[in-house]
Amino acid sequence: MPDNIYLPELARVAYIKEEVGGERAIKTFRIEPVNGKTFEHECGQCAMLSLFGRGEMMISIASSPLIKEYKQFSIMRVGRVSTTFHELEVGDIVGIRGPYGNSFPVDDWRGKNLFFIGGGCGLAPIWPVITTAVAQRANFKNITVFYGGRSPRDIMYKTELEKLRGDVDVHLSVDKTEEGWSEFCGFVPANVMDKSPSSENAIAITCGPPIMIKYVIQNLRELGFADDQIYTTIENKMKCGIGKCGRCNVGKDYVCVKGPVFSWAELKELPEEY
Amino acid sequence: MEKILDKKRIDDWINALTGWEILTPALEDGVWAYRPVSGAIRLDHTNTAQPPKGLAFPQREVFFSFEQIKGEAPRLTQILPDAKQRAVFGVRPCDGRGTVRMDKVFSDHAADIYYQSRRKNIVYVGLACNQPPGANCFCLSVGGSPISSDGLDVLLTDLEDRYFVTAVTEAGKALIAAAGGLLAEPAANDRAQVEKVHAQAVAHPQRAIDKPNETPAKLKASFKSPLWEELARACIGCGICTFLCPTCHCFDINDEVTGSAPMRGSRVRTWDNCQFPDFTMHSSGHNPRENSGARLRQRVCHKFQYFFENFGMHQCTGCGRCITGCPVGIDIVSVVNKVVEHAG
Repeated sequence: MPDNIYLPELARVAYIKEEVGGERAIKTFRIEPVNGKTFEHECGQCAMLSLFGRGEMMISIASSPLIKEYKQFSIMRVGRVSTTFHELEVGDIVGIRGPYGNSFPVDDWRGKNLFFIGGGCGLAPIWPVITTAVAQRANFKNITVFYGGRSPRDIMYKTELEKLRGDVDVHLSVDKTEEGWSEFCGFVPANVMDKSPSSENAIAITCGPPIMIKYVIQNLRELGFADDQIYTTIENKMKCGIGKCGRCNVGKDYVCVKGPVFSWAELKELPEEY
Repeated sequence: MEKILDKKRIDDWINALTGWEILTPALEDGVWAYRPVSGAIRLDHTNTAQPPKGLAFPQREVFFSFEQIKGEAPRLTQILPDAKQRAVFGVRPCDGRGTVRMDKVFSDHAADIYYQSRRKNIVYVGLACNQPPGANCFCLSVGGSPISSDGLDVLLTDLEDRYFVTAVTEAGKALIAAAGGLLAEPAANDRAQVEKVHAQAVAHPQRAIDKPNETPAKLKASFKSPLWEELARACIGCGICTFLCPTCHCFDINDEVTGSAPMRGSRVRTWDNCQFPDFTMHSSGHNPRENSGARLRQRVCHKFQYFFENFGMHQCTGCGRCITGCPVGIDIVSVVNKVVEHAG
């Protein structure tokens, strides 16, 4: 930790891509340190991004820890800071501090089948795990990604998902189909049931809207996944990132310190306050 | 280290403390508050309206300023608190114990340089409560006592015409050493009298939490209790309970913009409040604590369950300010007792 945990480093926006347009727009940003050096992170950790004069927001780091040159964030335009973020151009300077929170225990999953189940913007927090696992492909058995959006236009990381095919089984879905869509039509939990993955020697990692996570976990339990074979992340409003500002707690645990990654075995013991 | 100080000489002691800024209770417009000493010191206060927590954790403080010319990189200037040595006189034992809890929060997991650079320069000279100064005192229920020196550097006990002075920490000893020969060695009758006063103070009746040891587990079992909404029904969400609390530490961080071209401003920390609806509201509009019952539950469970689970102590010191200050009569002692009783 730096001496002053509240003072951000300066970072330059190096790349911007519009993932999804419309009301629930998502843009991907890659930012690189202005001074050439920044903190290292682990899969699942978050960072506090700053726009000076606007404020801060806590966002999952969407790039693999193996990538040192930049950190990637995929951000939905929804609040005061994220809306201004969407107006940024390449070359603009932002602030960043972190990393915050715990991480996915990826090293414990060697030799296992991995099932990633994402919905909407929820692909971003698990993307570092997917890309790290693919980069270390020999360490894992089958890797499967389930991902869904409301419509074909709401699918993020389209090109990247296509590139995964071969190394990874990719099962996409949309809530509402459109002409030209050849994959599954229906909600993400239904797509999981449709493919019915085996729980043997497997870990399932899910992230997305709370209602999706709820039914995904219910379905995984039905498929025989034990509570400690299921991992998810939760988010709450945050200001400090270090367990002091007092608002992101679920029971006794601050999500910014003990989370955002929880196994279902851990999460089901906490009060439902997220 | 124990000493005796003639009450008439306390101003001489304070005058001898040239290396410290001295704060003492002062009665302003009918309200007791810690103020820089001016004239003769008064320690006949009940308790101050606000605890001394704002000295290390001010209600508003600037983290850094920023300035940005359009198209250029922003320039950040870190603003750290000055290293002024301060001695605070007349701190009641409940508030001393409040600082212990604040210290835990601001050093646990990651050190908060703003809090710590103020805190390390503050010396607390406490004053034991010979009898509970307020109608809502309940320190004995939360592991404290009216004579506790926990979190204090010096403890004074009022023995009518003199103070029995106990140095608790090295910083406290330094305050006494700075007084030279002003403080005398206690005689046998001084010791006998302080023991008697302390025994009476502890025996004095107070308000009480009925089952303090069972409280964390009973609250945990009561998360879904319908009582929370019922008990919070009168709450108007004003937040005075947390504003007056010696242990409430929640804060907000925001940017305040003071100029454009170049854009100028500061990143500012202010106290925040778990009783405000937007405290936990996501930018999507989703709110994990969407009603006043959930927010009262958070305040009570943070103090009597979550903090206990994390640090092995209650995050309440029994000062009673939140009870006295509540405009609608929400009473944390009675809330805890009712929920715990309802849990069976």
